[in-house]
Amino acid sequence: MKRSKMMELGVGLFMLAGILGLVFLGLRVSGMTLQAPGDTFRLEANFANIGGLKPRARVTMAGVTVGRVSSIELDADWYDARVIMELQGDLEGRLSRDTTAAILTAGLLGEQYIGLSVGGDPETLANGDTVRDTQSAIVLEELIQQFVSNIVSD
Amino acid sequence: MSDTPFVVVENLYFSRGDTEIFRGVDLSIPRGKITAIMGPSGTGKTTLLKLIGGQLTPDSGRVLIGGEDVHSQSRRALFAMRRRMGMLFQSGALFSDLSVFENVAFPLRVHTDLPEAMIRDLVLMKLEAVGLRGARELMPAELSGGMARRVALARAMALDPELILYDEPFVGQDPISMGVLVQLIKRLNEALGLTSIVVSHDIKETLTIADYVYVIADGKVMAHGTPRNLDVDQDPRVSQFVHGEPDGPVPFHYPAADFHTDILDAGGRR
Amino acid sequence: MITRIMSLGRRGCDLLEALGRAGIFVAQSAVGVPSREGWHLWVRQMHFVGVLSLAIVLVSGLFIGMVLALQGYTLLVDFGAEQALGQMVALSLLRELAPVVAALLFAGRAGSALTAEIGLMKATEQLSSMEMIGVDPLRRVVAPRLWAGFVTLPLLTIGFSVVGIYGGYLVGVEWLGVFEGSYWGNMQSSVEFVGDVGNGLIKSLVFAVVVTWIAVFQGYDLVPTSEGISRATTRTVVYSSLAVLGLDFVLTAVMFGGLS
Repeated sequence: MKRSKMMELGVGLFMLAGILGLVFLGLRVSGMTLQAPGDTFRLEANFANIGGLKPRARVTMAGVTVGRVSSIELDADWYDARVIMELQGDLEGRLSRDTTAAILTAGLLGEQYIGLSVGGDPETLANGDTVRDTQSAIVLEELIQQFVSNIVSD
Repeated sequence: MSDTPFVVVENLYFSRGDTEIFRGVDLSIPRGKITAIMGPSGTGKTTLLKLIGGQLTPDSGRVLIGGEDVHSQSRRALFAMRRRMGMLFQSGALFSDLSVFENVAFPLRVHTDLPEAMIRDLVLMKLEAVGLRGARELMPAELSGGMARRVALARAMALDPELILYDEPFVGQDPISMGVLVQLIKRLNEALGLTSIVVSHDIKETLTIADYVYVIADGKVMAHGTPRNLDVDQDPRVSQFVHGEPDGPVPFHYPAADFHTDILDAGGRR
Repeated sequence: MITRIMSLGRRGCDLLEALGRAGIFVAQSAVGVPSREGWHLWVRQMHFVGVLSLAIVLVSGLFIGMVLALQGYTLLVDFGAEQALGQMVALSLLRELAPVVAALLFAGRAGSALTAEIGLMKATEQLSSMEMIGVDPLRRVVAPRLWAGFVTLPLLTIGFSVVGIYGGYLVGVEWLGVFEGSYWGNMQSSVEFVGDVGNGLIKSLVFAVVVTWIAVFQGYDLVPTSEGISRATTRTVVYSSLAVLGLDFVLTAVMFGGLS
């Protein structure tokens, strides 16, 4: 009987380890957060060109991840890209109204993400507000084109 | 004891692949007696037991146990029917991952809701009957062949069946354990009023305990009768089998081309 | 010529018949979902099939993760993209290597053992005697093994992925000096839980069903002699490896082929 108890314990630990492994894959590897949806707030930002930005890309402040891009759509009025971001709830009411959003690239060829930097306006952004001051993605091909045409015109 | 036979086999045909194993076998096995089915190796005696137990289905013909056709039962009814049968396999067929005690307790645990204490009592009773109460903690791998067969017998009797099928119970036993098994089969049959079917080719031992004998060869019943007046000489094959002659109608040689030409052929090719 | 065509036809019929038998077999067995009284049988098989395969699966996972990181690093560093190492290691493990390699190891370690065990029970008439006692061996012997296989292989696959990603971390971050934040960060931004982890698990569940099915059926259907057992064991490993690799292509085409 003792042997079968040991066996049950082993199988129990095995299954527990499997479930913990799945949690690890969820949290650490796919970067899901345990925060409930209520703990986030939404910001929008319009960019002239988002380059290679994708949904679920990181939103950072001073290099710290504070949220994710939840969706990207075309703004049919202005023909630019409207990016909707979900940020940590505790930042709500603490970002100044003149916060800027820029699409940055990790390394030369790495993934693209959004960097926020806070300005000095005493008024703050609330849920659903739009970030006015944005800086589009740097598209490598355009840079090279500009560079080449500069050389030619010189 | 009633006059209607307990097990009836009617006009049984069975073939495996292209070989016909039975071509019209009729048996009637009386209640409460030991009936022996004998015949040379390879005549399908084990197959016959599997047909009676419903593990194989005949091509045609019927097997009736207590008036019910084994092969027209649903799967569930067949399993219910088997609770009333025990079968002792040639190798014992003990479950190798269970101890002797658990092996005997297995049918009880599966088919009854008896409390643990009662199961223990029943198992010890059955083991006592085969003289192996002291071996209850051993695993099947630790038993000798004869002991394994006795444990298997205890397991086959666990549910107090009405019918026990013995498949070659004496094969490969030393004289002592052979004697023990012969005694056990005889005693159990008398004490419990079982109907027993013994399949064997050990003539001497079988004839000492059997009440009635069928001899099967060539897919048919060749002779039958009580051991005393079994007319062994009506058929040369039966007579060869019972007297143990090496050659006769059942040939010593496997069918082959003529010996002389075979030898010369090989020489020619060299 | 005609005899050849005939023998081809006969083989085709044999194959179809075997497939049919295997299908009926698994359908009859799988209805024996572990119940309360069958619980201890199931636990025993989980132990036998899962816990005892854990060591080989985890060690292989660790090494495969380490090799992936090493190979990936030398390739990515040429493009200055070594911070994408985590992404590469995690995606290759989750989508492909963990389900496939764990299934192959499982076929070798647990599948062959299942075949041999059931085959031995058949050869020693244990299955027949169980039937004569009035217990269905499909329910009692086959079903717990089948369900244990179905459950354990996905769990083993999860373990393989976790250990492999950690192995990649050891080599990439601790040894080769990839920045830790970008190892995890790139991984997190590119791995999707449903798309990658989920699809990998669906793969491994399919492999679990196929491998366990093959193993158990080969054991149940074999010729009950010592030669028959050894041949069936070999067949289990060969058939399940081929089935896993073939199905992997089909599943990959369905899951990831339509993307990009």
